[in-house]
Amino acid sequence: MTIGQQNPLKFRQKRRPLEITMHTVWFICAISSIIGIFFILIFLLYDAAPAFLDIGLIPFLTGERWDPTSIIPKYGLVPLIVGTLLVTIGAMIFAVPFGIACAIFIAELASPRMRNILKPAVELLAGIPSVVYGFFGLVILVKFLQDLLSVPSGESVLAGSILLGIMSLPTIISVSEDAISSVPRYLKEGSLALGATHWQTISQVIVPAALSGITAAVILGIGRAVGETMAVIMVTGNAAIIPSPIWNILSPVRTLTGTLGIEMGEVAVGSLHYHALFGVAVVLLLITLIINLAALTVMKRLKSSQTGGCSRTGVFSCRMITDRLSGIMPYLPPGLTALLGLFLLLIGLWQGAAGMLILYLIVRLVDRYCIRQTVQKIWFSLVTIMMGIVTLILIFILYDIFSNGLPYVTIDFLTESPRNLGRGGGIFPAIIGTFYLVIGSILIALPLGIGAAIYLVEYTKENILTRFIRTATDLLNGTPSIVFGLFGFTFLVLFLGFGISLLAGMITLALMVLPTVIRTTEEALKSVPDSLREGSYALGATRWQTVRRVVLPPSVPGIITGAILSIGRAAGETAPIMFTAVVFMQRRLPDSFFDPVMALPYHLFILATNVPGARNNQYATAVVLLFLVIMIYGGAIVIRNHYDKKIRW
Amino acid sequence: MNEEIIIDVQGLNLWYGENHALHNVTLPVANRKVTALIGPSGCGKSTLIRCFNRMNDLVLGCRVTGDILYHGQNINGPDADPVELRRKIGMVFQKPNPFPKSIYENIAYGPRVHGIKNKRDLDEIVESCLHKAALWEEVKDRLHDSAMSLSGGQQQRLCIARTLAVNPEIILMDEPCSALDPIATSKIEDLIEELKKEYCVIIVTHSMSQASRVSDYTAFMYLGDLIEFGETRQIFENPHKELTENYITGRFG
Repeated sequence: MTIGQQNPLKFRQKRRPLEITMHTVWFICAISSIIGIFFILIFLLYDAAPAFLDIGLIPFLTGERWDPTSIIPKYGLVPLIVGTLLVTIGAMIFAVPFGIACAIFIAELASPRMRNILKPAVELLAGIPSVVYGFFGLVILVKFLQDLLSVPSGESVLAGSILLGIMSLPTIISVSEDAISSVPRYLKEGSLALGATHWQTISQVIVPAALSGITAAVILGIGRAVGETMAVIMVTGNAAIIPSPIWNILSPVRTLTGTLGIEMGEVAVGSLHYHALFGVAVVLLLITLIINLAALTVMKRLKSSQTGGCSRTGVFSCRMITDRLSGIMPYLPPGLTALLGLFLLLIGLWQGAAGMLILYLIVRLVDRYCIRQTVQKIWFSLVTIMMGIVTLILIFILYDIFSNGLPYVTIDFLTESPRNLGRGGGIFPAIIGTFYLVIGSILIALPLGIGAAIYLVEYTKENILTRFIRTATDLLNGTPSIVFGLFGFTFLVLFLGFGISLLAGMITLALMVLPTVIRTTEEALKSVPDSLREGSYALGATRWQTVRRVVLPPSVPGIITGAILSIGRAAGETAPIMFTAVVFMQRRLPDSFFDPVMALPYHLFILATNVPGARNNQYATAVVLLFLVIMIYGGAIVIRNHYDKKIRW
Repeated sequence: MNEEIIIDVQGLNLWYGENHALHNVTLPVANRKVTALIGPSGCGKSTLIRCFNRMNDLVLGCRVTGDILYHGQNINGPDADPVELRRKIGMVFQKPNPFPKSIYENIAYGPRVHGIKNKRDLDEIVESCLHKAALWEEVKDRLHDSAMSLSGGQQQRLCIARTLAVNPEIILMDEPCSALDPIATSKIEDLIEELKKEYCVIIVTHSMSQASRVSDYTAFMYLGDLIEFGETRQIFENPHKELTENYITGRFG
């Protein structure tokens, strides 16, 4: 009955076909990630090349007018780049202070119970589809600004900035919060043991130690803002002009992404205008690549500084940069105040500038003349108030949409086809279309992504190939969703001849969520301690036996979480399916993979922007979409928390 | 040494990247005896023991030259299969590392991956291995509880039972008691005494008293060199090298 009774000398290499097959399968999965980004680059460049050649690279990049439909078409990117910059900077002015304050509140001030509510709430905020934000911006924010400032139209840089600020908040909060929470406990205890107050410890030990993580958070937030399409189209007015004067935040602008979203649907395929749009996409892709590479570099430095390893010395070594950053830290608050004050003065809001000045003086006086405990109280209340404001904004958005929309979500609304351009009837085909799109994209992305992650974590040591795959994945992750849409249009719809179809939409969405699946699966696999793998190998198990029986079972909850998050993302995105899969009105359901479909986010977008007098159905559609996404994200959070508690190593 | 030599290490060198961790180590290991590897931290004893079942294959940037003859066959040779090797040479790690499964499943894991499916055979293996690891009486009523619910010492004996379940010839133990309290340690030491009747045991230990209690042969290592090897009594009572004597008498380490 005992095993291994054969001659002990027989331990020569055995052929193991299963091992080789599994290895090959995972390798193919991993390589698909590279092929994905490779194809995106090739096809975008291929379609952009005529524009660069005909218009000329320099005139294209430096031209001061974008007017492709006039008699003499003008293709100059400057107004679009300026628009993107203005909106992004505006968003960061709002999002950075609030994001960091919220992160400090959640990591340091909140009670454990409060943190358990706030952290998932922030993740939910991240899950709200951008078209819902855009809808809220269009109906509430723009109107509000219009009335408040008594201007003819609230669609402006200001509206875009505020909305994008809200949208990039979750990214900034959650990444900064991670950075602050991962500052080692002994640093905090060391400072407190010296008699520093909690606030002194936060401001002088914890935040400086977490600075690179916070920087990465801000960069990622910028990436989010630059790549956003739908919300921007809905609130910035979309006039391709350079605001005059440049700081006129009430002027409408148009961003790079907005241009793609608006013009791509109406352009003649193969015209110069068409190629110019691909040129815009290439520029957009380059900008986001740079932003993401910057974030990656900062993150990597964070990692090496935490493990104590820093190989490079000299001016650009991490120590030097960290030292310099902490060197300018004391000048940061007055500097920022001065800049913001100047900015407010320039746009003519002298009251605002005066307010800033008074506020700053108060802060200085308090710092100078109050005892530390009072200073701490003041700062803590400030941070708490900022957290409160963010929470109120979230609650207000949700309340507004649910209170206005819920009464119109009836059984008929959910089960009928739309009538009268969506003003009447229901959204049944859109629900089914979204369902098909999501299921299809997940069925493609899940096996590929999990396979790639298994290959990366279990089958290779770090080498050039894995680094290449990881970088490709990270870049794919940061690519704006509209760029996926353009790629899907040129490659799947036109080149492969799928037409505007369910299949094209599924593949585009799959490509978009693939990085999320790979990342989360990798995290889950890595959280299984190596000692378990060693234990299994030491018993003579093969690699695949070890992976299947020891590593995969405890990783399942993490993998499921990743899958659910991807489902949420795929369900809420508009830009990737806009040109690849959806139509606005279609009473019947799709018969095959090559039929176009309706989808909830796109339906909401068109209802909100192109159909006057459909307010009730807009709100009701938003409610359905929001409900769907909240349920999906909530499910993911519940699963994760449940297993976090259960698994102990 | 008159005993049968089961493992013969000849001129073994090992590098972690640039770091030359083992220098030309030569060491015979006797069957059905306990061989202890002692020495100060970082001397390479854990590295050496991980060479015997090629666990170092899993370490990034690790390079090995030299021969380790197991029954006369070089396990570092091009046609040696680490998977087959590890089923003949089992290993118990420093920290107990039971799988997050039930006690029963932990022990059945090894036989299962080697193709035993029959429930009755598995039951029999589980029971006999738990007996051998002196754990049966403590866990027989809760074989299907999670292995994580056991105490540290019980977990380590479970890991030993798990190793026995694939019926190895040699058991490698890498500081098996370093995470355990004195009572659990003495239980493991008693167990080693039992095990050497059937198995060859190689143990890495920080504790010189443990080495002198459980082992028949002792090898003293220092900074990647094997300084002295001999019968345990001779090493502890009459070391030939000054370095060994200094370490044994506690002058450094």
